[in-house]
Amino acid sequence: MLVQERTGDATLSFCCRGCQGAYLLIKGAGLADFYRRREWQETGLAPKAFQGRFHDSHLSRFVYPAAGGSGIDIIIDGIRCASCVWLNEKVIGRVPGVLDARVNYATGRARVLFDPAETSPSAIFSQVDRIGYSPRPYTENAAREVAEQEQKDLLCRFGTAVFLTMQLMAYAFALYAGYFQGIDRQMKDYLQLFSLLVTTPVVFYCGWPFLAGAWRGVVNGSPNMELLIAIGALSSYGYSVYATFTGGEVYYETAAMIVTLILTGRLLENAAKRRASGGIERLMELCSGQAQRFSGGDLETVDPRELRPGDLILVTPGERFPVDGKIAEGSSDVDESAATGEPLPLFKKGGDQVIAGSSNLTGALRVLCEREAADSFIARVARLVEEAQSRRAPIQGVADRISAYFVPAVLTLALATFCWHYAHGNPLEESLMISLAVLVIACPCALGLATPTAILAGTGAAAAGGVIFKGGDILERLSHVTVAVFDKTGTLTCGRPMLVDIKAARGIDPCEVLSLAASVESGSLHPIAKAIRDYADANGVVYPVGTELATLAGAGVTGRVAGESAALGSLTFMQRLGVTGIPEAVETPEGAMVVCVARRGRYCGTLILKDRMREDAPGLVSYFSRAGLATLLLSGDRQEATRKAALAAGIGEGVGELSPAGKAQRIDQLRAGGETVLMVGDGINDAPALSAADVGCAVAGGTDIAMETSDLVLAKPDLERLALAHRMARRTMAVVRQNLAWAFIYNVVGIPLAMTGRLTPIYAAAAMALSSVCVAVNSLRLMRARHG
Amino acid sequence: MASSLVALIGLSLFLGCGCWLFFLWAVQKGEFHDIERPKHRMLDDEEKPEK
Repeated sequence: MLVQERTGDATLSFCCRGCQGAYLLIKGAGLADFYRRREWQETGLAPKAFQGRFHDSHLSRFVYPAAGGSGIDIIIDGIRCASCVWLNEKVIGRVPGVLDARVNYATGRARVLFDPAETSPSAIFSQVDRIGYSPRPYTENAAREVAEQEQKDLLCRFGTAVFLTMQLMAYAFALYAGYFQGIDRQMKDYLQLFSLLVTTPVVFYCGWPFLAGAWRGVVNGSPNMELLIAIGALSSYGYSVYATFTGGEVYYETAAMIVTLILTGRLLENAAKRRASGGIERLMELCSGQAQRFSGGDLETVDPRELRPGDLILVTPGERFPVDGKIAEGSSDVDESAATGEPLPLFKKGGDQVIAGSSNLTGALRVLCEREAADSFIARVARLVEEAQSRRAPIQGVADRISAYFVPAVLTLALATFCWHYAHGNPLEESLMISLAVLVIACPCALGLATPTAILAGTGAAAAGGVIFKGGDILERLSHVTVAVFDKTGTLTCGRPMLVDIKAARGIDPCEVLSLAASVESGSLHPIAKAIRDYADANGVVYPVGTELATLAGAGVTGRVAGESAALGSLTFMQRLGVTGIPEAVETPEGAMVVCVARRGRYCGTLILKDRMREDAPGLVSYFSRAGLATLLLSGDRQEATRKAALAAGIGEGVGELSPAGKAQRIDQLRAGGETVLMVGDGINDAPALSAADVGCAVAGGTDIAMETSDLVLAKPDLERLALAHRMARRTMAVVRQNLAWAFIYNVVGIPLAMTGRLTPIYAAAAMALSSVCVAVNSLRLMRARHG
Repeated sequence: MASSLVALIGLSLFLGCGCWLFFLWAVQKGEFHDIERPKHRMLDDEEKPEK
């Protein structure tokens, strides 16, 4: 889309609003001659399409007092790159009275500090607007503020833990050396006291989240991982304090290391989560802030959260729709790419639906609100993403279930060990040491890190390869898949059929059949409809627009053309409608689709369309076959065509003439038979099947329904990526199993050793650290060999 | 010997604490909130503000 600027006698076009802004800046500096050397050929939007109006009365609500003046947070829509950030910072910074302007690249949010005596928020907003970005006041969101505060808190605890542990390790190494080579008694005491000094805040301040979590676990009577961590840290800390004052070896570094490593894991997990939900959150911010509502004859600026269904609002060009609604008046090009992935703007007119978060490009629209802001499409998708993130891989549940037994068992073992050694005449101190070694070696660091690190590394590597898993459980289920089910049209094939032949019934002109078909299909975005219309347009066949059009997904379309009832669809659809005059055998060339057309209940002819197989389809199918998966092709298409397509792609079996519900039923049958099913499909047609399958993957990815029902999203509709996803899933789960096995074997070997007193806590701590490192490094292998 | 080592350890801890407080201040100020932008920022500012 282009932006135009009219200067007296000439019209200038720009590739984007940023360039228009740059032009205005350059022109303002008296350097417009630069543009004389350029040639513009393309047309663009209406002039002043993106001009907005800003009222201080509304904006002043968002101003807060700050050091040396007033502050306001602005969400800037349209920031695409670092240069946009630069431009905005400079331009806002040059408004007289602005003291400081900082734009956050990640969130697109500007924090502006200004002198209220010299400038006003609306002046700042107008300036941003003038260079072609759309500013909106940033509304505080309580949940987000809390999350941000939590992140800060975690970072503080983590930084403190790292800093103090670093200090501690210096003392610990001196003490290690002293243990082996001898150390001055007084020096040892000093070092131990310093260690105590630095470890205490690590355990009680940095480790507070785990201590609190462990306490909650105890209170609720459900021992959890955190309890083990807390016991490990507290027992080694407690014993070390005891040893510091009675003489003996201390193990402060064990306590500090446990806390630091677990905090690192949490930090990484949080970062990954934030990255995943950043885009959608930004979009939600963009449609918050302000909306213009009609009240009586006047416009009032309100918060979108105050909008109720039935309210009439004005959406000017350049604005995003704050809520889902219907256009009451006006027409405009609407960019829905944020919501649907459709890259081209759609032309919308009165009565059309608009989606919150999409942006209005060309004309002012009056929109009738249909849903509240909290219930809009974008809000629903955000909730979906949140849900997906809170889902955990079932194997992680295994680790948690084990810990429910593991924790009490370890505690019992440690206690028993202590009693046994003490009863057999060992001194108290030595018995305590031995039971402590049991606790330390049983520390679940490796167990706790086994699954999350692998899943994190696996999903990260997959995302770098263009595959986004909606949750850890998807990764696990994909690795278990035994049957891969494909849809035909749009999945194995390009989904863009071409009309190749028209077979008219006796006595009817082929052009008439074509015109009739095009009329019936005039309202549909289905690829077949497009192919028919394209062919009609290319051959100069004019067709009236059909009315009362009704689509039955996967079957056909009925409607009225020039007052006469008409229908278009598969042969079975025709038979079901009771169409007369259908020839005995409708001849079908190999790999082609046949669409029948009927008028007033009488057969008129058939259209023959051909679809091209995707080039990477046979490769994917052979990959799945080699990986030991059964393959199946389900299609709404004719049995014969489906069988042929299956044969061409190398798929074991092809079942045709299935309705969308039929496909879902087939998948349910497979699952009932004990199979784990991967469904690869596309679009609205396959939505039931996608959600029925264990793992649903929408190849085209674009439509919102496909995105909602799809468990993994492919960045590009490229089947090879699916093979990559499957490979990554299997590798990740293999690594998880290796990690868990390692952590268990380590405990199985280590605990008896510690119980017999052969392992002093210092070796147990070293072994524990080694085990955690092994697990983490093993997981990181996934990131390295992502194409392997 | 021991007392000089203790003094040195105390000094290192004291200096370290300075860095630690600086870190805490930076976190509270939100310096780590945006870790994308600063790496670009150093590339933009060839032009010195004319103040």
